[in-house]
Amino acid sequence: MKGIAKLGLVLAIFAAAACASLAVVYAITKPQIEAQDQIALTASLKEIFPEAVNFEDVTDKIASKDPNIKFLNAVLVKSENAPIGVAVKAAGPSYGGQATLLVGITLQRSIAGVRVLELKDTPGLGANANNPGYFVKKAEKVTFPGQFTGKYLTDAFAVKEDVIAITASTITSKSLTKIIKTAGDSAAEWLETVTADTSAETTGGK
Amino acid sequence: MKSLWKTFKQGIIYENPLLMLMIGLCSALAVTSSVSNGIGMGLAMTFVLLFSEIVISLFRKVIPNSARIPIFIIIIAAFTTMVDLVMKAYFPELSKSMGVFIPLIVVNCIIMGRVEAFASKQSFLPVVFDSLGMGLGYTWVLVAIAAFREILGNGTFAGIQVMPGNFQPILFFILPPGGFLVFGLLTSFNIWLKNRMAKSEKAKERA
Repeated sequence: MKGIAKLGLVLAIFAAAACASLAVVYAITKPQIEAQDQIALTASLKEIFPEAVNFEDVTDKIASKDPNIKFLNAVLVKSENAPIGVAVKAAGPSYGGQATLLVGITLQRSIAGVRVLELKDTPGLGANANNPGYFVKKAEKVTFPGQFTGKYLTDAFAVKEDVIAITASTITSKSLTKIIKTAGDSAAEWLETVTADTSAETTGGK
Repeated sequence: MKSLWKTFKQGIIYENPLLMLMIGLCSALAVTSSVSNGIGMGLAMTFVLLFSEIVISLFRKVIPNSARIPIFIIIIAAFTTMVDLVMKAYFPELSKSMGVFIPLIVVNCIIMGRVEAFASKQSFLPVVFDSLGMGLGYTWVLVAIAAFREILGNGTFAGIQVMPGNFQPILFFILPPGGFLVFGLLTSFNIWLKNRMAKSEKAKERA
């Protein structure tokens, strides 16, 4: 009995020391990691909407319809004064765990652009979704997320039909397509209520 | 000093963790589809190996024998998490491309094996040389496999195009079977090298 208590104590001391040192490293790296995420996010937003100037947080207003796919963040993207689209940061399951995408949707209910923010799929296969040198259409140099740009949400979004899959990575292709479609649908639906509101206001003004 | 040097050399050729001991293969074959991944993984692994071995060697007298495995795992996991956090903070690109394989260093049998077989019995200096030798042995093999696979499978080396534009990448080398093939070739190369070195040493002794 005494022996077990001693073992437990030694184990606890080692665990506590490991925790303490981890806490220190975590505290040092945390601001840096957050800054990196923020830089990546704004850079991707600017890539998707080159004329973007202002961003308004609308995370609470757009809800995901799929229980497996979560919307981490949503912003209404504006030029000088008028809204030009919505960007949704959506996370859902993929082959190697959770994948996070940034999906931009225009007022015309088309995809403005898709960026892969986080993907843990197999390097060299599924991870090619995030490889700027991997093209699903070689001749036109279109990447996997790139093929969605300009695609209307009324399309089927079916892999191997209107969406080209990544070679040997059907699961990744399907999961990412589903995340994009879910985010796009919800955002477009919300956009409709907003634009309906503003048009109502303008007619009211007249 | 000579025995330290010998310990160091063991890990690189004679007891190379991948080519001779054949441990830690899953992560080695999984991340070696590009050279930068190979270097990153090798360095991360060497760091964790070095510090885990040092800490365990320093505390080897106070670690009770019957609770050693959980304590080893705590120590290895702490260093692995540190590497993961630091990589995320300062090398976000590399961290993204390696994904889950950095956290998986915790269960890499090379570390567990060296810690159990070497660090828990040896003093500070031999442990440093052993971990550096093993780490370097792991890293060079990763980089070699990755170079082979990336050049033939993707036409690039560390992301730079090296093959002529009309070269059709051989996808086989990026896929897992290609990894096994390259690994097998390297293993036989290492055995050849080892035999050759043993022969030349024998010749020296005779002379």
